Amino acid sequence: MTNTTAAKQQKLISEGDSGALRSRSPWRDATGRLMRNKASVTGLVIILFFTLLTIFAPQIAPHNPLQLNSGQGFLPPSWVEESGNGTKGIPDYPLGTDTLGRDALSRIIYGARVSMIVGFAPTAIILLMGTFVGMMAGYYGGRWDNFLMRLTDIMYGFPDLLFFIITLVALRDTWIGEFMNGLFLLFLALAVVNWVGVARLVRGQVLSLKEKEFVEAARSIGAKDSRIMMKHLLPNILGPIIVQGSFAIPSMIITEAILGYLGLGLKPTTDPEAFFITSWGSLLLEGQSAINAQPYLLLAPAICVALVVLAFTFVGDGLRDALDPRMRGTQ
Amino acid sequence: MATYLIRRLLWLIPILFVVALITFIMMHAAPGGPWDRDLNARQVDATTQNTLNEYYGLDKPLWRQFTAYVFGDVNKENKFVCGLVCGNLGPSYRVRGRTVQDILFEPPKEKSFLYSRFGYSMRLGGLALSMAILIGIPAGMIAALKQNTWIDYVSLFITSIGISIPSFVMAIFLIIIFASMLHLVNVVPKDWDDGKAWILPAAVLGFGTMAFTARLTRASMLEVLRQDYVRTARAKGLHERVVIFRHMLRNALIPVVTILGPALAALVTGSFIIETMFGFPGMGRAYVTAIGQRDYSMILGTTLLFVFLVSLANLTVDMLYVVIDPRIRINE
Amino acid sequence: MRKLFALLSLLVIASMALAACGGGAAPATEAPVVPAEPQATEAPAEPTAEPYHGTLRINMGSFPDIVDPQKSSFVGEIAVLKLVYEGLTRLDKDLNTIPAAAESWEYNDDATVLTFTLREGLTYSDGSLLNAARFEYSFHRNSDPATAGEYASIADDILGAAEFRSCAENCDAVRDAFYENTKASHADGAACTGYDDEACNTFTIKLKQAGPYFHTVASLWVGYPAKQELIEAGGENWWLDAANHIGNGPFVMTTLEQGTQVAFVPNETYWAGVATYDIDYAYIVDGAVAFEAYKNDEFDIVGLGAEDLGTVQNDPTLSAEANIYPGSCTFAMMFHQQKAPFTDVKVREAFAMAIDRDAWVSDVLKGLGSSTLTWIPKGFPGYQDGETRLAFDAAAAVQSLTDGGYTVVDGQLIGADGKAIEIVDTFSDTPRNRTRNEWLVAKWKEVLGIDVKLNPVESTTYTALTKDINTAPQMFILGWCADYPDPQNWLSVYWKTGAFGERIGYSNPELDALMTQADAELDSAKRADLYAQAQDMLVAGSPVAFMWNNVNSYLVKPWVKGATQTPMDSGWIGDNDPLSITLEAH
Repeated sequence: MTNTTAAKQQKLISEGDSGALRSRSPWRDATGRLMRNKASVTGLVIILFFTLLTIFAPQIAPHNPLQLNSGQGFLPPSWVEESGNGTKGIPDYPLGTDTLGRDALSRIIYGARVSMIVGFAPTAIILLMGTFVGMMAGYYGGRWDNFLMRLTDIMYGFPDLLFFIITLVALRDTWIGEFMNGLFLLFLALAVVNWVGVARLVRGQVLSLKEKEFVEAARSIGAKDSRIMMKHLLPNILGPIIVQGSFAIPSMIITEAILGYLGLGLKPTTDPEAFFITSWGSLLLEGQSAINAQPYLLLAPAICVALVVLAFTFVGDGLRDALDPRMRGTQ
Repeated sequence: MATYLIRRLLWLIPILFVVALITFIMMHAAPGGPWDRDLNARQVDATTQNTLNEYYGLDKPLWRQFTAYVFGDVNKENKFVCGLVCGNLGPSYRVRGRTVQDILFEPPKEKSFLYSRFGYSMRLGGLALSMAILIGIPAGMIAALKQNTWIDYVSLFITSIGISIPSFVMAIFLIIIFASMLHLVNVVPKDWDDGKAWILPAAVLGFGTMAFTARLTRASMLEVLRQDYVRTARAKGLHERVVIFRHMLRNALIPVVTILGPALAALVTGSFIIETMFGFPGMGRAYVTAIGQRDYSMILGTTLLFVFLVSLANLTVDMLYVVIDPRIRINE
Repeated sequence: MRKLFALLSLLVIASMALAACGGGAAPATEAPVVPAEPQATEAPAEPTAEPYHGTLRINMGSFPDIVDPQKSSFVGEIAVLKLVYEGLTRLDKDLNTIPAAAESWEYNDDATVLTFTLREGLTYSDGSLLNAARFEYSFHRNSDPATAGEYASIADDILGAAEFRSCAENCDAVRDAFYENTKASHADGAACTGYDDEACNTFTIKLKQAGPYFHTVASLWVGYPAKQELIEAGGENWWLDAANHIGNGPFVMTTLEQGTQVAFVPNETYWAGVATYDIDYAYIVDGAVAFEAYKNDEFDIVGLGAEDLGTVQNDPTLSAEANIYPGSCTFAMMFHQQKAPFTDVKVREAFAMAIDRDAWVSDVLKGLGSSTLTWIPKGFPGYQDGETRLAFDAAAAVQSLTDGGYTVVDGQLIGADGKAIEIVDTFSDTPRNRTRNEWLVAKWKEVLGIDVKLNPVESTTYTALTKDINTAPQMFILGWCADYPDPQNWLSVYWKTGAFGERIGYSNPELDALMTQADAELDSAKRADLYAQAQDMLVAGSPVAFMWNNVNSYLVKPWVKGATQTPMDSGWIGDNDPLSITLEAH
């Protein structure tokens, strides 16, 4: 009985699909759709570009990003004839120099390293953790939900600055604090204080979705909870999660800068061989204090951050569409 | 429903207690104390420090300081001073002589509560949130309905700016454009009773939330667009406006409402940047600087206030779920 | 979202704190300003012969925590008090101590008793009598343990003050003993009968040892005569109400609005004359905003930061409005005398000689500062011109390391015993301090070849660390700003064993003896000479690398005339002598 029904369904589906599409795996299918989305491809190109920058920074950067040049501070970009402080750009420094006369372009190129990783790694942890907790709470409800949601209430209210200061003092000289020049500790700290927002968002969605017909249907045919969550709920809440992710990335980049000033996260270095030298966030902060002296110091990193955000948003949107079960097999 | 409400409100007690406890432990674990001041000035000398510690009970064991904060303790003159349970948030160590509740909630003489620090922040936060909702939700809807048109891309561009540019940068740009160049407002607002003075601060404060709201609305509208019932509704020949507002928006609002709850709490307490840049007399500065200053009672007081606001906002959101989507049931 | 907010806020704190910790200028002055009600006050010049009465709008940065003479300690707080109150003495623009509420003062033969005689007919701004009993109350209140003022220790030179201040219980005896040493009386020594006793014009202070500088200490805000009855009626928060600030200074406070504004009008009863303008203090913390507001004519005076200096100097109008003049602080790279390798004078000398102070001032401070090789800044009594020891000399710096038996291998400093010594430069983490320390470390690498590790820490943690000899870092930048212009404040107060120099483990019995001798010396020429010897001895031991003096830097609108520049200006240019300022119609 059940066999026949399943077979019939299968048959119906195959008849609805074109033969060519049937042979594709869902993943290849999704990739195909992603690659046909112009915006997503643009996004991918931008991300690829910055990724290459991070890898080949020493080859691409015109100068040593730590080289001080006495008397050449606050030079404007090379195309500026006369800047507000009366200096003139020179071709040697395409984007000008910072307060100590270091090459702004080289610093931005090196800064991409920290910022790309900092934007991406903690965000991934946050999304995974938040989605898992939010789904459990929303799906199982009851005590689970109550407990987890009260926990998020607590986490929300908790003063994270204090948490960062304590973490810094307690762990900075241990191996965790030293690992990746302090960045690893930063990832952990950022993830610990930020996952609750995602959890609440996912839980709200799941609460609404789990009452819907297709979930009822899946449950009535005896699908396991884990299957319902992965196959039916997750794809339907990807949209908001992706938005949250694309918003988390710039906030991580900026947060890194500010935490840097707490001594948590990237430690300043004077070794030009070091992998992590500076970050866009730090450059943004330096630029802000110099806004009257040399606005390009603020504009350049701001544009870079905005580009990365746009890129991740484009790719995120494309991914959501590509993975959407209702879009399967369509253009 | 009533039982649920009461139960959730009762839950506030253990939540506040746990937050107070963790915060208390962490702040005392942080190096330094309230008397470690600006290094350029002469430091508070040891004698004065001892006198002050004794006066404020900071020389007592930590557990006793904690119970004193929460329940109360006898002070130097052998009088019992009630703690948090009586609504007493403790003395500020920075502004000596004033209590935390004075600083946050007491308006200047002959003014209403709205003129207290919290009152100012509340008004600004409310204004910023309204802006975020009134602009963000329609913008997100339009972007979704016109997906992949220039309208969508313009909105994407603006929201990307909103999230990539930190508010302190946004503030200075807006000041330069609207005050220095166009002379529409003063750089520094002089009179907070003048509605015009609130526009830039509210815009700076609410811009991020607005961008987030717009993106989130767009994303969940797109999810909803493809649902069968929307197709059905359209097929039934329902008027497009009815489809959008009755069928789509309702369902699309769940994630938006989820973030708006905590966002309100964050906007109310998060006016720090506005205060440093516009001289706004709100409570954000007290909240943020207290940690750096190790003003223990102020840290605890503002944290508890924040948790209280967030919990209330989340409770409201949970109730709103039911209104927006009647299929959601509340676990009794 | 909120998390981010909190963090962003931190950034702003950071930029404020940078001014405070190792900053080149006085903290409050680097912050921008908010104007208050400029339109209302800038009434158009009247066509009649009536002189122009304008409002001076000044940005003061952060709002004061406490405006109470015996409890305040910050620049921004003092800038308010200074307008409303006046002490027994005050400073002129050359930092000489001159009569203020007191018409004269004299010391006894061994300089242990100081007697002030008040001006005749002194009144408060409300017309009530100001007699010596008022000053007696202020000094009593300052040293009272119940007040626990944060600057109270400045008056500890009074006999019995320290004992009273540290008294925990049964204090009546100590208190009475202290009260005996700070007494108001009639000129003939008869006891005063109260605040309405017109003949009560003499105030006598007994010091615990000779203190020929103490009349200068009496100019400080801790001795300002706030009224006892108002303080007691208002309770601990008496200062919150502008009406309680009845003072004897050149201005009267009319408004004190929490977080936004403090406003003043001239005091019609001030003995030295009546100002011709009102003052509005506004509180905008962000420098860039204040600069915009200044350009938009919303402020008359704002602080000028290093970042904006280039822009200002390139603009013909703005550059004419910039006022840059010496400040009151000296900053130095502190070396911990008990932590290797700085236990060795050779290493300290090497690190000191490797710093090019002139390049530091031009590249890092952008000219807002002046290099120094000594402790007391130029313009202050006790300054010694022509100090050249430990000036920048790359070759000598390297030589000094070699002389000490050190070698440098792969950026590591190797001691004479063959062990590598790690060197860490600790600083309070702000954007400005970051660039500063990155520059220093790069220079040490360049000159000495040593890789010094950078160690940024959160600012309060930094304060807590540097306060204690055990936790104080190997090396860190710290400054000292004059409380009052006397070499005693620079040398004895800082470098005596057990004083502030203790945090880097500095103790030199020979220097202690010399300073003690100088403190008690009555002959001013001999006294100056002893202090000169002391400073010479201090520099010779090179416990620290003296680096720079700060400058005060303000933008002042052209219609503000006659502002006097004084290193001890606290908060804005000319606040040491506001009566010399006039405003022109604009």
